[in-house]
Amino acid sequence: MEAVRVGKRLIGAQAPVTVGWENIPRVEGGPLKRFVFTWFQPTMLFALILFWYYVPNSIAKTSTAVGIGIGFKVLLLGLEWVNPRHRSWRLTWKELVTDLFYVGLGYTLVRLVNGYIGSGVMTKAVQHAFDWDKFTWFMGMPLLVQAFLISFIFDFGQYWMHRGMHNWYPLWLPHSVHHYITQLNINKGAVGNPVEIFLIGLGVGGFFDFLPRAALLAGAIGMAVSTYQHINVRFNTPRWWRFVFNTTEHHSVHHSQDFEASRSNYSGTYIFIDRMFGTCVDGEAELLGMEGGRRMSIREQMTYPFTEGWKAIKDRFSRPAEVMPAE
Amino acid sequence: MKAHWIDWIWHVRGSLPLAPGQSGEEAFGRLDPLFRQGGTTRSRIGDTLTFTKKDQAAQDSMSVFDGGVLQIRDGVVGPVLHYRLASRALLFCFLAPLLFLAFAQLTVALGRWEKPAAQAAGAHKQQKKLVELPQNPIDKMLGSPAPEKPKPDGKDGEDDKKKASPTSAYVFAAMFAVLYVVGRVLEGRLVRSLFRKELLGTGDQPPMALAG
Repeated sequence: MEAVRVGKRLIGAQAPVTVGWENIPRVEGGPLKRFVFTWFQPTMLFALILFWYYVPNSIAKTSTAVGIGIGFKVLLLGLEWVNPRHRSWRLTWKELVTDLFYVGLGYTLVRLVNGYIGSGVMTKAVQHAFDWDKFTWFMGMPLLVQAFLISFIFDFGQYWMHRGMHNWYPLWLPHSVHHYITQLNINKGAVGNPVEIFLIGLGVGGFFDFLPRAALLAGAIGMAVSTYQHINVRFNTPRWWRFVFNTTEHHSVHHSQDFEASRSNYSGTYIFIDRMFGTCVDGEAELLGMEGGRRMSIREQMTYPFTEGWKAIKDRFSRPAEVMPAE
Repeated sequence: MKAHWIDWIWHVRGSLPLAPGQSGEEAFGRLDPLFRQGGTTRSRIGDTLTFTKKDQAAQDSMSVFDGGVLQIRDGVVGPVLHYRLASRALLFCFLAPLLFLAFAQLTVALGRWEKPAAQAAGAHKQQKKLVELPQNPIDKMLGSPAPEKPKPDGKDGEDDKKKASPTSAYVFAAMFAVLYVVGRVLEGRLVRSLFRKELLGTGDQPPMALAG
């Protein structure tokens, strides 16, 4: 298999990966279709920013954000139907049910656990431990600056957590099961072991006091960008967007069956963090997954980190003591 | 209780007459590519084909089924393909509403258990400093609504109530119940159409990821 050198690494030696924007196909079809799939992403982002910037306080609530989030996902599911990126990623009934099960866990069990030991509780504990009144100046900054900083700090933390997961075995175990997905669809971001969903949710976005509207804006920016990590839609994403933001292309490289390619594009929203630290690979991949694309069942996803972790511990402690060679 | 009283939940049964003049041998030959997929084992004895699938790819056109039996028997007007296919995904989707109802009950129980503690902490919340929220002049100039003054009567309490709400668990329970009905009907129709296309030789080419 022909590999491409990107910086110090060889990408695509084990599985096909297309490297370079010039080699990535464009949206095919009539002028209207090409227009829609070129301008959809920036239009949605700016529309959401304008909405949250100007909406009256009575509507600027988390419940509105949750409603918009669900509506946005339903719309994107429709786009998957209209303009799929790959036929092999088409959403089947079984895939939809499996993905929704993980989404359901996130809305119920994981949320319940998070209420006791999650990032919100940790943030409150840290805020109580220090005199954070000194940081109220954060609230006096322009809304969009606050929103950018909240989402950037969160994504920066998530970048290192994610990179840590790919480099340290105890963190890799809960994350590994997410890499057994063999296609990208709207709800695939939720697929994984609940321990991992909990870990990736731990972020440092809210140690400062910020305006509620800024948090809603930050959430909208995150949603309007990072949702495209897992989606089966072909877009003509603008150049500036793919330089600044994460895209389906970047994330498909991250999920590639090629080991070197999978160790790239760790950020969730701002791909420039990967550019800063030399882990960005611009390209795309269709063949995704682990172990040659073996699909992992829900049962195995739930148990794998623990069974593999137990095996690793047993191996480490049952190794026979080194025998000194006879003199 | 015999299993077949309930096994319709996760089994799809059906029959298809073979094309005129098509022998059982020819029919199995045409269906064979469906069972030459990763994670699939198959065995054929006479007019009966048995298969099992493990960790089958999402791109496998019979991915929803984990095993089954296909048999060609003589019908009134000629040979007929009878099939009986088992799907753990269908069983899982059938049971999923129960799981989410259990999550809802757990949420309600935890909410009840937490109530006395929340009431005890209520007095502390009143002491929280009520500072007016600032607005940057740029945002004021651009016309963004001024931030609301924080409410003194414990808005946090409302948030806690929201956190402990079982509504989302009920919504997911209903969603899986609907999805089960859709899947039970849809997958039965899809597999019948798949077999018919293969038997007539008009089946689709596999998607690129599998062909590669």
